Amino acid sequence: MARLMWFELKKMLTRRVALAANIGVAVFLIGIMTLNVVQNRQSNSDGQIVSGMEAIAQARSEDEAHAGPITAERAAADIAAYQERVFSRIDRDAVLTMTGSAVYDLMFQNFSDEEVYELYNPYWSMLLRPWRATGEEPTQTAARVTPEMAAGWYGAVSALTQDALDDGQAGMWEYTDAERAYWTEKQAGVAEPIAYGYVGGWGNIIDCAAFLVFAILAVCVTLAPTFSFEYQSGADAVVLATRRGRSTLVTAKVVAALAYATVYFLLCASVIVGFSLVFYGADGFGLSIQSIALSSPYPLTAGQAALITVGLMYAACLGFVCLTLAMSSRTPSTLAVFLTDVVLVLLTGLVPSGGIGVLERALALFPLNFANFNMLFAAFESYPLGPVVFDLIGMVVAVYAVLVVAATPVAAISFRRRQVA
Amino acid sequence: MELTLDRVTKRFGPKIAVDRVSTVLTPGVYGLLGANGAGKTTLMRMICGVLRPTSGEVRCDGVPISRRGDGYRALLGYLPQDFGYYPEFTALDFMEYMGALKGLSRRDARDRSLALLERVGLKGEERRRIRTFSGGMRQRLGIAQAMLNDPEVLVLDEPTAGLDPKERVRFRNLISGFSQDKIVLLSTHIVSDVEHIADEILMMRAGSVVLAGAPGELVAEAQGKVWEAVVPAVRAEALESGLCASNVRYLDGGSALVRYVADAPEVEGSRPVAPTLEDLYLYVFRSESPAARFEGRAGSHFKEARHG
Repeated sequence: MARLMWFELKKMLTRRVALAANIGVAVFLIGIMTLNVVQNRQSNSDGQIVSGMEAIAQARSEDEAHAGPITAERAAADIAAYQERVFSRIDRDAVLTMTGSAVYDLMFQNFSDEEVYELYNPYWSMLLRPWRATGEEPTQTAARVTPEMAAGWYGAVSALTQDALDDGQAGMWEYTDAERAYWTEKQAGVAEPIAYGYVGGWGNIIDCAAFLVFAILAVCVTLAPTFSFEYQSGADAVVLATRRGRSTLVTAKVVAALAYATVYFLLCASVIVGFSLVFYGADGFGLSIQSIALSSPYPLTAGQAALITVGLMYAACLGFVCLTLAMSSRTPSTLAVFLTDVVLVLLTGLVPSGGIGVLERALALFPLNFANFNMLFAAFESYPLGPVVFDLIGMVVAVYAVLVVAATPVAAISFRRRQVA
Repeated sequence: MELTLDRVTKRFGPKIAVDRVSTVLTPGVYGLLGANGAGKTTLMRMICGVLRPTSGEVRCDGVPISRRGDGYRALLGYLPQDFGYYPEFTALDFMEYMGALKGLSRRDARDRSLALLERVGLKGEERRRIRTFSGGMRQRLGIAQAMLNDPEVLVLDEPTAGLDPKERVRFRNLISGFSQDKIVLLSTHIVSDVEHIADEILMMRAGSVVLAGAPGELVAEAQGKVWEAVVPAVRAEALESGLCASNVRYLDGGSALVRYVADAPEVEGSRPVAPTLEDLYLYVFRSESPAARFEGRAGSHFKEARHG
């Protein structure tokens, strides 16, 4: 078995196309992650644009300036301090009647660049998020917040979930009672106080996880000929007439394919995780996911969210491995297998949902769509199956697990029953 | 060891590729002769279990091969026609891979691979990638892999395709040395490949075995049906297309010696000559009717049961 697996791996990885795809994608990922660091831009307190490691350090210092647990008391006190600072120089009532851009200009007229920079720290946006209307400047939101409202900050955070459920994804989806209960319960599990701070490395992993679709594609290129090349080349007649050709060989092919895909995916994932943690920093693993988006109903840390995102991409990778093997076992055309993979892995990311909730939920299951923070952790994508509700994370795991469980026997049985006509 | 073909039939849609072939193969060398499309390859695939018969069955020592599964395949060596290979493998990689598939230990696979590669004339080429091999070298590699597990049943489909005369001789010697107590079935449409090594010839036509027997016995069937005539060279070409000519040799002085098969002399001055297996082959395959004439004369292993 081990020897057969070794030969199967050799068959897979000595094909020039596979070799080129594997090396090409690894080099591409290294290149894209290098750019991700080098091209990172941020404005500093002097209003200058800095890039690379300097920009990362800038972002870190912004977040660390307000790091720590946000208790209800701290939230109320910080909001009050913000209001006092801003409205000591500009008219609180006037900003409510102005446009966002006019308020922005007004800030620069009344505060130094350095002060404006501090007043636009993401921390203030996050604190004011529960009451923020679309397109509003933080100052405008702050003008509407009363001390009583600020004192009930956690209640307002909880209300974000209810607002989202009432909004029904801008009218695209009507949540069932079971879904509403599911999300309400999930949000209730979010630990208080929220731990705020710098989550740069973990956040960057989530932002870049979508690049792993290229690793999935390279795996598909490598595995598409697993069975189909045997048919195409006529080698099937030789191997199927051997003692282990219809038994151990099939297992060896499947296990070798899964082993290769795992190792290659880990390699590619380590490029993304490695670059992110080395250059953006590994601290902040235990900080709340709400540091990234306050409206997220998940009781997770930033590190857990990053690992879940990469884990889901791995689940998708395994699903596509088994699907590719199943298709390969059914056709002698390697190209047809690969093109199907391309359509499912890449092109599904380009299909618009057109405001149709069911289509949106179907498309969300494909890796290019689910591999972003908002879709996974803040979009309230749920799948009611009778009384049982799956969120997107659970559904992705379930769908790809079913794909693995269903497609693997198809591959094995198709090859075992192959008739060389 | 006994391999029984019991009314083995294969249909592809409306086309019958193999039509109720029944025979018993015991240790010995069997030459399966027939024109392209006669059903040889399909029959061999069914014997090897890579193609399921539409009806009938192949039995090994009385047990259907479908039931014996891996156990039967462990006894089998098979070289298919248009043998597929892995272009990036070296010859030794391929042999060791086949060794693993055939259940040999790593050491056995290595030792036997090296020995067989030497026997088929590929010594020194073990580390070369197969994609750099010529057609003849690939064919020899295919023959070597078929023999790797010292099979009890060796099935070779067109094994001499792509081999030069010297390699053909080497192949014949290899098979002769190997075939002791084993069933060797090899197909070809080149009569001379099997004439000297086959213990029995099976001739296939339109999916059926139409003639079977020892080469000597079969050749005797063509006695009195092979003729030679000396004709003017200008007539030779016309006669060649009109007769079932097995050979035309141009002589000095503007004449030609035409050798042909026919029930009766068809050219003035013809004289009967001793037939060869090739003459018989031509005689059988020249038209529909003569083959039918031989149907009752099948050899001892041949149990044809056509049309009920």
